[in-house]
Order: sequence, then C-alpha cells, then structure tokens
Amino acid sequence: MSWLDRQSFLGADSDATLAWATVGLVGLGGGNSHVVQQLAHLGVGGFVLLDDDIITLTNLNRLVGGTLDDVKAERAKVEIAARVIGAVNPNARIVMRKAKWQEVGDLLKGCDIIVGGLDHIGSKDELEGFCRRFMIPYIDMGMDVTPLPGAGQSLVSGQVVLSMPGEPCLRCLQLVTDERLKAEAQRYGVAGSRPQVVWPNGLLASTAVGLVVQLLTPWMSDPPRSAYFAYDANLGTVAPSDRLARRHGKPCPHYPAKAVGDPMFDVRRYLERLDQPASVEPPVGAPASRVALVLGWVRKRFGRG
Amino acid sequence: MTVHLKIDGRLLDDVRKDLHRPHAFAHERVGFFTAGAADLGDRLLLTIRGYTPVADEDYEIDRKVGAKIGSAAMRKAVQSAYRPAAALLHVHTHGGRGKPGFSRVDLNSADDFVPGFFETSPRMPHGLLVLSNDAAHGLLWLANDRAPVAIDQLQRIDAPLQREWGSHVLA
Repeated sequence: MSWLDRQSFLGADSDATLAWATVGLVGLGGGNSHVVQQLAHLGVGGFVLLDDDIITLTNLNRLVGGTLDDVKAERAKVEIAARVIGAVNPNARIVMRKAKWQEVGDLLKGCDIIVGGLDHIGSKDELEGFCRRFMIPYIDMGMDVTPLPGAGQSLVSGQVVLSMPGEPCLRCLQLVTDERLKAEAQRYGVAGSRPQVVWPNGLLASTAVGLVVQLLTPWMSDPPRSAYFAYDANLGTVAPSDRLARRHGKPCPHYPAKAVGDPMFDVRRYLERLDQPASVEPPVGAPASRVALVLGWVRKRFGRG
Repeated sequence: MTVHLKIDGRLLDDVRKDLHRPHAFAHERVGFFTAGAADLGDRLLLTIRGYTPVADEDYEIDRKVGAKIGSAAMRKAVQSAYRPAAALLHVHTHGGRGKPGFSRVDLNSADDFVPGFFETSPRMPHGLLVLSNDAAHGLLWLANDRAPVAIDQLQRIDAPLQREWGSHVLA
C-alpha cells in the first residue's frame, strides 16, 4: 500500500509523474505556505524554495507551518517550508535559498512549473518574463483587501492565473499594467503593511494546486492551457474571469515565441565550463554555511574553484 | 551533462502534420527548428522558437534517399538562425509509433549540413531530430569537431505537460 493510494484516479502513473516533477515556489509567505504543504501531500518530489525573508510575529496569522518558536528563532521562511515538506515526504528533493529569486534565478530554470506568491506587481511581471523565457508554466496568485466606504467594511478578493507559453500573459489579462506599476513605484517605501488573512490565501492556494495537478497528471481530459480564476470572498465565489474569455484566440503580443532561451548563451563558453574540473557544491537542500557562501561568491566573481 | 528540449505542444502537432504532407516526388518532407539555449548547470536546455518547412521547390530528385534538399533550402534555414542567433535542428519524420532511429543516410547528411550551421551561428549548438507519431530522437553537436550527444528528453509544453522520451527525471 502506498501513502498515495487514495489519489490513484489522477492517473495510472501519477505517483511517479508527481514524484519526478519539480515545482519552484517563489515567495514562501501566506499563499505559498499552503501550496507547499499541499504539494508535499500530493507527492510532488522536487521543490525549489526561494524567499529572502524570515518569519515575524505578524506572519503567524497566515503562514501555515510557522510557529511561535520559529518567530523567536527568526527562522527563514524557506526553512519552515522545507520542514513542512520533510514531515510529509522525507524523500523529497529540496533546493532552498534564503535570497531574492532574482539573485538565484538559475535554480528555477529547470523547474517544470513555478508558482508565484509575490505581493508586488513588478515582481510578478519579472517572474512571468523569466518563466516565458525558459518555457516554464507560471501560476500566479494574488489577494487584495480593499476598504469599502462605511465603517469596518472590506472587499476581499483575489485571483489565480495560469500563464503558459503562447497564451495570454498577466499583461494581456490587465493584471500587470503600466498604471499599476507606476502606482506601486510611487507607494514604494511608504510605511504600513498590506492586510492579509489566512482563509483567502488557502482558497487561492488550493486553486493554484489544482492547476499544478492538471498540468502534471491526466486526470482531466483536455484541460485548458490557460486559466484565470477570480475570487470574491464577500460573495463566496471563485469563477473563471471574462478577461480570459475576451483574449481567446488572440496571440500574446508581449512574449513572442522567438524570445526564448538565454540571449547571452554561447556554446563555446558552455564547453569551456564543461571541460573544467567539477567544483564541489554543498549537498542539495543543505543550508549554505557562511564559508560556503563566501567561497561561492569568490568562484562566481573570479571564476576559480 | 544531459540535453533537454522544450517545444510548444501545438507547434509540435503542426510540424507533424506538415511533415506528413505528400510531395510531388520526394518520399518524405524535411524542416528546420530554430531554438534558443540555456545552461542549466547539469543540463543544456533547448527551447524551440519556430519551424521553417522546406519549400516544395527546394527539394531535388534523388531516388537513393527519401528527401534531398538543395542549397536554397539550406540557405533559408541558416538565414532563419542568423539573427538573433539560434540553434538549428534539422527535422523529419519516420511516422509510426515508438522511439525512431536515424538511418545511415540521415547521419551522413548531418555531416554535410552541421558544419554549415556552425559557420553561420558558431555560438549555438545544432542538431538533428527525427519524429515518430508519438516520440522522437535527437542528436546535438556542441562543436563542429566533436561527436554529437543525444538529446535526452523532449518536453511538450501543453496541458498536461508531456515528455516524449527520456528518463523523466528533471531535478
């Protein structure tokens, strides 16, 4: 008997397919803390976890797996996520870095799917651009709490988008616009945190996990190549957005098919690197020591190693 | 080192259809993929950018081979990979099911065109793909004077994602 027996309807080879897959999670805050937990339970075998932040007291209202002890220990969010995975599936392959994803983006290039749990529009835009360049399906989650006129009233909403190569992108779907980027830039550095709460994150994360499963297993015949689910917590609905329907049949003008691959790639440099003796890297999943980090920087900076 | 190739699922379907079109005298059709590349550390990633079929008039009569293409076809292919620099992959199909293999003629013809690809686009790898109706097989040259390496895995970017061959181990 396997721990995944009850999900055999996902497909005859689904256990193996999920075990072989590697999912990148960028931002391990409220949303992706749910995602990582569910993917571990599903039997996804490979994880790349990237977040430069530690857990703080105000994260405890929504960061699944986080504890008061973690807050006291100022534990990195990626370490908490890795612990959650390891508690379910000790055989999972985990690569994690407490770093901004842009600084360690190479780690994401080999992922089958990337799930973004990023707050900022600009960051979503950058991460989607990265995914398009390396032909990686990108699933974006976002949540907003907007005060309504009247005492103590709020509108809680959000969305989950599957952005596939050749399909509508976040710009096509008007989630990333120049106006929103400009407004975000003007707010940069203004004190105060955006309101966040656990249950919408959980719902959006479950929707995102459903898309991951659709991409990896054949449990649904003819699944859609792109998706945009809009969540309205006040109405209690998750529904396909008509913004996606309006883009049906229209090519994405923002990410042309020709703009894939590393524009700086040079196979001659690649061969030079292959011909060099292999450097000793820390084992996958092990937190890098300070000495290892310094050695890594020296290798990168001066090409020795 | 392993080589991993990604292609949009709809493009792959279109290419299979295109290669199955009959020709006035050639027994099989040929085309060229252009691709980007990226260094993934332990893997080399090829990302297919587009497909250029060989035009009807660019085939030459040669009863000894399934398809012989002329210099105009090669010129058009290398032009498509010139700017931005792209990897060029010669592609044809053997039809049927299961992993196809290269014939001696396929491998001999690669000896003719691969050096030309490197002359035009020396900073990119170049290669050869053969498709069946549900699988594929590929070879990639990283340099003109080196033996080719196998393309270990082809991933169809679609819903669901599919791998057409390979060990299935991605991480």
